[in-house]
Amino acid sequence: MAKDFQLIEREIFYFFSLALLVFICLEIIWPNIILAYLNLNYLFLIWLASALVLLIKNKK
Amino acid sequence: MLKLFRARIISLALLIFLVVIFLFLKVVPGGQITYTRDYDSWFKSGKGFIYGFTPAERVDLKSGQRPRLVGDPIYFSVFTPRTFDQASVTVKYRDRLKSGTPLIEAGVLVDKLVWNYDLKPLENKLLDQLKFKWNRLEDGARVILQSEKNYHSLAAFENDLAKGQLKNCPGGPQTCLVVYNYQLDLQYRLPNYQSGFSLSIDKPLRGAQQFYIYLNNEPWRLSLELVDLNQNKDQDPVVVILSEANRIISSQTIPDDQAQPASGTLERKSLILEEAKLPAGVYRVEIKANEDIVIKKIVSSTNKLVFVNKLWPVSTNQDLTFYTNENYLQVKVLSPASLQTIRFGAEDFLAAEINNQYTFKTNSNALLKEIKLTKDEVILENGGVFALTPDSFFNPQLTKLDRFFTPNGGTQYLIANYQTPRGDENLKTAVADFNLRGVYREKGKYSFMISVPGLRADDGQEDYLEIKEISIKLKGRTLWQKIFN
Repeated sequence: MAKDFQLIEREIFYFFSLALLVFICLEIIWPNIILAYLNLNYLFLIWLASALVLLIKNKK
Repeated sequence: MLKLFRARIISLALLIFLVVIFLFLKVVPGGQITYTRDYDSWFKSGKGFIYGFTPAERVDLKSGQRPRLVGDPIYFSVFTPRTFDQASVTVKYRDRLKSGTPLIEAGVLVDKLVWNYDLKPLENKLLDQLKFKWNRLEDGARVILQSEKNYHSLAAFENDLAKGQLKNCPGGPQTCLVVYNYQLDLQYRLPNYQSGFSLSIDKPLRGAQQFYIYLNNEPWRLSLELVDLNQNKDQDPVVVILSEANRIISSQTIPDDQAQPASGTLERKSLILEEAKLPAGVYRVEIKANEDIVIKKIVSSTNKLVFVNKLWPVSTNQDLTFYTNENYLQVKVLSPASLQTIRFGAEDFLAAEINNQYTFKTNSNALLKEIKLTKDEVILENGGVFALTPDSFFNPQLTKLDRFFTPNGGTQYLIANYQTPRGDENLKTAVADFNLRGVYREKGKYSFMISVPGLRADDGQEDYLEIKEISIKLKGRTLWQKIFN
């Protein structure tokens, strides 16, 4: 069960990392395609939170 | 391992799904989309499409949750991920406006060079009042009001209008018909016109100009002497367009190839526009130029020439006299040295502050009201025409309904494209439709404005227009049409 949680946490981090990268690339190619609908700062904060959770859990 | 594979597939599918959604919203394959900004809503997930109002000093953001427009005009831009052909702008608002500001209009920037907005009505309180006082004929948005019931059907009115012979209107439609947001192509003919008299105007005028000329089966020649002041950083091209009833006959462009457009060095330019023979009628000449361009001299082969709506005389160092048909004059003095008493329609008016738009009304009943200036660098504006000599005056325009309109004995009919806004005093909803083909678009943004003519932020009055919501429905070509047409 604990392993499953760890897997999910890691995959969430990977998902947000990739999403952030793809959205930033899309924004560079077509300005405002994402920012008009979604503030990427929110996504960045969620990505940061998932990274912190992963780091803290791995340390334990 | 299987769990990891499943998790990866799910997250990848979700990401692809999100990217497809954003691409779909960018391409707008159906050709239709609506962008809305609700000022009552506190949550904003993204930047949105409808940007904030400018300039800041004409918007009160502190007195309430909704923005209050306290000055005129107010601009806002709309980002669109692609181009569209039509926009339907719906504004929900509450107004606390005084009787001196009966009009609310919305506009889209068509031409940035001359700062020209295509304005459409949102609300016209003068028309709304007249609808109940005068006899009314309606067909959709088209409204015809008559002070006396001379016509019982729209068709009968239009028949007579096409002939230029309206009932109870012996002087022709120019003397008894008022229009609002309505295009009417009347064949204007100037009685007793004599060709062969030329006109030379050597009073320098600054910026864009429009004027009407009258010709009667004769050749025409226009010669312009221009000076480029090279003061602002923009390039200063000049475009001269000759048109008749919105049909362009000819045009000429002087490109600006100056590498340093803000160098301050004066550049002399000239342009000649010639036509071999033009049929009898009124023609419009539009000189599109920015404020760096001064028209030093205009020589026209016809002496019937009147400027439309605006004059900006500069650098003359002599007394100036103009003539206008309107009984009001809006004056803006641009430099302290130009503050003066202006004589308008045999009355004196004091322009005591710079950059303040004064509105002077004369009680003169004369057909032509004289304007006398002792100094230049003054912008003169009204809804009528300006002539430089009484001989050159003629007025081919139908009277347009503006905020100064008062139904007097002369006005018998009013024709408009207008729909009264829905709702009550606390929340009204008005719609304005725009053609977006060929309008100005920069960095993916269309520029819009909301105008309440006469609304001023600095007059100390508690009058404002409070915006609740702006919604823009855009229509354009579908993806299918883009690919295959």
